[in-house]
Amino acid sequence: MLWYKAWLETRARFLTCLATLTIFCAVFVGHAQGMIHPEWKSDYNRLLFITQQFIVIMWILAVVLLGMGGIVREKAIGISSLTLSLPVSRARILGIRVGMGILEAIVLGVVPWSTIFLVSSLAKMPIVISQVGFYVLLLLGGGLAYFAMAVLVSCLIEGEYTAPAVAFGLVLLAAIIFDAWLRPFNLWRLVTGDFYIDRHTYLLSGHFPWLGTLASMSAAALMLLASVSVIQRREF
Amino acid sequence: MFFKLNPTTGQPLYLQLMQQIRHAAETGALRDGDQLPGIRTLAEELVVSPNTVSKAYSELEHDGLLELRQGSGAFVTVKRRTRSLADHVQVARRRLRDLIEQLREDGLLDEEIKRAFEAELLYPAEIVRK
Amino acid sequence: MTNSPVIVTRDLTKLYGSLAAVHGLNLSVGPHRITAFLGQNGAGKSTTIKMLLGMVRPTCGEGTVLGKRITDAEENCEMRCKVACVAENKPLYGYMTVEQTLRFASSFYPDWRTDVARSLLSEYKLPPQRKVKALSKGMRTKLALLLAFARRPELLILDEPSEGLDPVGIEHLLQMLVAQAAEGVAIFFSSHQIAEVERVADHVCILNNGRLLVDASLDQLRQSYRRIDLVFASAPPEREFRIAGVEKLQTKGHQLSVFASRNAEAVIERARDLDAVSVEVAPVGLREIFLESVKEN
Repeated sequence: MLWYKAWLETRARFLTCLATLTIFCAVFVGHAQGMIHPEWKSDYNRLLFITQQFIVIMWILAVVLLGMGGIVREKAIGISSLTLSLPVSRARILGIRVGMGILEAIVLGVVPWSTIFLVSSLAKMPIVISQVGFYVLLLLGGGLAYFAMAVLVSCLIEGEYTAPAVAFGLVLLAAIIFDAWLRPFNLWRLVTGDFYIDRHTYLLSGHFPWLGTLASMSAAALMLLASVSVIQRREF
Repeated sequence: MFFKLNPTTGQPLYLQLMQQIRHAAETGALRDGDQLPGIRTLAEELVVSPNTVSKAYSELEHDGLLELRQGSGAFVTVKRRTRSLADHVQVARRRLRDLIEQLREDGLLDEEIKRAFEAELLYPAEIVRK
Repeated sequence: MTNSPVIVTRDLTKLYGSLAAVHGLNLSVGPHRITAFLGQNGAGKSTTIKMLLGMVRPTCGEGTVLGKRITDAEENCEMRCKVACVAENKPLYGYMTVEQTLRFASSFYPDWRTDVARSLLSEYKLPPQRKVKALSKGMRTKLALLLAFARRPELLILDEPSEGLDPVGIEHLLQMLVAQAAEGVAIFFSSHQIAEVERVADHVCILNNGRLLVDASLDQLRQSYRRIDLVFASAPPEREFRIAGVEKLQTKGHQLSVFASRNAEAVIERARDLDAVSVEVAPVGLREIFLESVKEN
């Protein structure tokens, strides 16, 4: 029943973020129709590109929030001894929390874009499912590294407010570093599709960036493994 | 049967229980063939460790006052020997009563009498003979 | 049922910097009995229990619980299936309801007894649909204890179980402990409440500043500890009483008070030989044994 526990713990956060994201997307795309200037070429696709940027920001904030919690936070509120007395390994406890978080992150990526697809299709806008799929995959493939980072922070830092503060701080730091020094590896641009956008059509073109995504997911995996190691070594 | 064990007196609880069961048998509150509560039941009632009750029961069985039947419980067996022991105790108590009255007349307080008894009882028999 | 000890530690030590929370602890807790772990606050009781359950790693030394090594994460995990424990602060998940908490706990342990859980739930009058964070402190304590008592483990470890309970609650707690003991569960509980320990414990371990001072059956302690008050005609010859078993000597005027952990007969004999005017012997309660042991340390 550890999955159920993980669900109960993240339920409120998850549903709030899901509602916020979905409503934002529906409203943004719905209302933005009126803002489309006739002189823009491929204006609708440009709108989608801008939407992705908003989604990415909110999604990253959401998954960082979802990555919080765990045994270290339980120690801060004094209930870690209940979890640790269960006949379950610490790796499994963390693994299930991470698993639930990843599932929630996927839903948080798929549902808003599905809403956009639905709203746009109903309004007979020129939306193509492959574009939607591309955006979703970019988001998840590249963005899960942020989730993994949040999990690692939650394993290292005790304190109900300190941990999320540090995690958000790191997101900001990453954005600055990527922009200042690591331009070719800029995760932000990967995730928003900035690398592959055709400036004329505003369509994501070219092949899917498997290498970039793989690099990002490997970083995520490394951070998760580090989290397991930290949790196993820690004293409660 | 009402037993009252006092954990603070410094006397092991199982000994207190044994004494109280013996006393009950001597005064007739427990008769031959009466059944005592099971170990678990009595332990829960008195809120003492089951080992306390178990030890008291097995010591009394060893002394011949109780018979422990597997599955049924503990039964009182007031044997002839115990009956005559009960008589001895009655006589002893009458003697003690007289002695205590005398000591009280001499001016000793009850507490002093009690402590004197305890001190003498702790004095092993060999030393007296010396 | 085996007769091997349920908890064994050898030189178990935990250092926090230069402070020894637990120092060279050699425990051997037997099965089929109730063992109390007495000590003041900060004596090292909770640290010891945490080491046994794998939450804290010993600095050195080793131990086993139910034969499984405490320092091996996998063995420790296996062992926790058969050990029920309630930590000092009675931890519970605030966001779960009472019902959810029971379902959660029962899913991990094959020794869970639904009928016992149900009867305790109604006895404690815990509302099943209420969230734990909305329960009163007393109810939370009862629920935390229920999670252990609804099981039939091989070993029950409790850290200060009566903390936060009113006298009625404490009485019920002791009854539950006795009931579990009667079913063959080995019980190891830490406490600084002498009264409870005196009633139900078979065996007592006294811990002070991380060291084990006393490790004996309660009956044995009751039968061997004595306080002997002597009065002499002249100055009491304290030197003469430094014999084996004597823990403490106190002189006041013509009176000499001897606190002996054993060998009281030798003290009495010596007193008679030295023509003591008065010899008074009294048994010693656990409170005094504890206070004297802890003081001289």
